[in-house]
Order: sequence, then C-alpha cells, then structure tokens
Amino acid sequence: MPTPDDERFEAYLKQFRPLVPEPLPTSGSGHRAWRRLVLWAGAAAAVAILVGTVALHIHTERVRVVDTTRYLAAPDQLMEGQPLTVRSVNALMAKAPSFKALVDDMAFRSQTIPLPKGKRSAVAVLGKEKIKL
Amino acid sequence: MSRTDGSTAEIESLYRQHGPALLLFALAITRERARAQDVVHQVFLNLIEKAGLSRAVDKKAYLFGCVRNAALNEGKLRGRTTPFDRDLVSAWFSPPDRDYMGEQNLRRALDALPDDQREVIVLHIWGELTFSQIGELLSISSNTAASRYRYALGKLRDSMFAKENSCANS
Repeated sequence: MPTPDDERFEAYLKQFRPLVPEPLPTSGSGHRAWRRLVLWAGAAAAVAILVGTVALHIHTERVRVVDTTRYLAAPDQLMEGQPLTVRSVNALMAKAPSFKALVDDMAFRSQTIPLPKGKRSAVAVLGKEKIKL
Repeated sequence: MSRTDGSTAEIESLYRQHGPALLLFALAITRERARAQDVVHQVFLNLIEKAGLSRAVDKKAYLFGCVRNAALNEGKLRGRTTPFDRDLVSAWFSPPDRDYMGEQNLRRALDALPDDQREVIVLHIWGELTFSQIGELLSISSNTAASRYRYALGKLRDSMFAKENSCANS
C-alpha cells in the first residue's frame, strides 16, 4: 500500500519533467513532399536539358545542310562549260564547307558540254528513235 | 515504403506525446544521452517505414517495449566493441524552479538503483504505465512490478534525502 509519504515523494518526482527529444530526422510529411518535389524537379530538368541538346543538334545539322545547298548554286555557274581540272577541284575544295558537299556538287552538276555543229549526242539520237522491244 | 500518411501522422503525434518519457526510459537503460536519443529515433523511424503500429493494441506500452528492446540490443552490440561508458554530465530532466542540484541528485539516485528497479520507477512515474502494463512489458507479474517499485521508491528517497542532508550539513 502506498503511504502518504510515498505519494508526496511521487508528486515531488513528477515535478522533474523528462527532457524533450530532438525532432525526428525525417519528421513531417512536408519534408518528404519537399524531397519528392526536388526529385521530380531534378528529373524534369534532366529531361529538359536532354530535349534541348537534341533540338540544338538537329538545328545544327539543318544549318549545315542549308549551307551546302546554298553553296551548290555557285560552282555550277563557275564551272559551266569547263572541264574538271585539278585546279578547279582544288578551288572548289577550298570553298566547299565539306568534302561531302563537294562530291554532291560534282555528282548533281548538269553536264552541258557544247557539241560541234551538225553533231548530236548519242542520248539525243536514241531519244528520237522508236525502238520496239 | 508501405506506410500511409495517416499512420505517419499518428506515429509523429505519439512521438510528441510520449517522446520525453521514452527518451528518459532509454536513458535509464543506456545511461548515455546520445545513445538514448539514437535508440528513440531508430524506433520511430522503423515504425514510420514499416507502419508497425497498426497491429499494436496498447500503443503506449508497445512503444516502451520497442525502446527497451532497441536499447538492450544496442547495448549488446556496443558492449562487444567499446566499454560501457556512463554519461552523468548530461541532464535527464528539466528541473522545477531551476533546481539543478535536485535534478543532479535525482539522476545520481536513479543511476545508483539496480537496472530492473530503475526501469520500473521510470515506467511508472514518468511513463505513467500501470503495474499490469509494466509486468507485461518486462515479462514479470504485476505484483513483482509493484514490489520492485516500492523498493526502488524507498531507495530513491533515502538516496536523495541523504544527499540533500549531507549537502545541508556540509
């Protein structure tokens, strides 16, 4: 049986309050929500950077192609009616933005070599003939 | 994580409500502030991650049981690597009327008690558990818990008043 002395002593002891513990390290749903938000923001930023890089790369490629086609018009005029020489090729290479552009130019350039009077090209003769197969 | 926000909020509420008594109980076992704090944090973080409170009928007693197990396990693990070190410098209580001497006396008197009696005193006075709850927690009968409490209370009183008298005489 507890005596009055015991009860008074208990009451005295209860006046001493245990210390409050430190907050939990990851306490609060707000903290977790914030962490989740930061993760999402990081992922979104990574995706944005990736998309930007790809778009920039595509744009650069397009500019390169445009430059090539722009360049292709000029040599046609320069080399019309002239035979292809080492010098002219060197000159073209010096001006061409890339080797590919130069080759493209050579491949798709219209060949308008003038023929002597009264002579026709084989293609023209064959084109007028009616060939029955 | 398999927890729900509702259970997390409940666990955080229990931490605010019983945290001080649980910390004191952990201190009574480990006798070191930092270790006791770690033990209480570990218990609550485990509960938040595993939503372990849903099955507990008596949540308060369950929390004290978790803290006891964690503190004893931690003590066993640490005992293998480092020697037991008592921390009698850090305060255990917030004293009434800035009675820091009284707080120190109480702390030393508690420290001088046998482990089983110290646990019962802390659980009953500051944890506000009944002898039946204490008995279940410590796997003893409620009568044993009550008798341990009476012995401990007597020793505590003798120890504290003897200290105060000796201080007053000197």
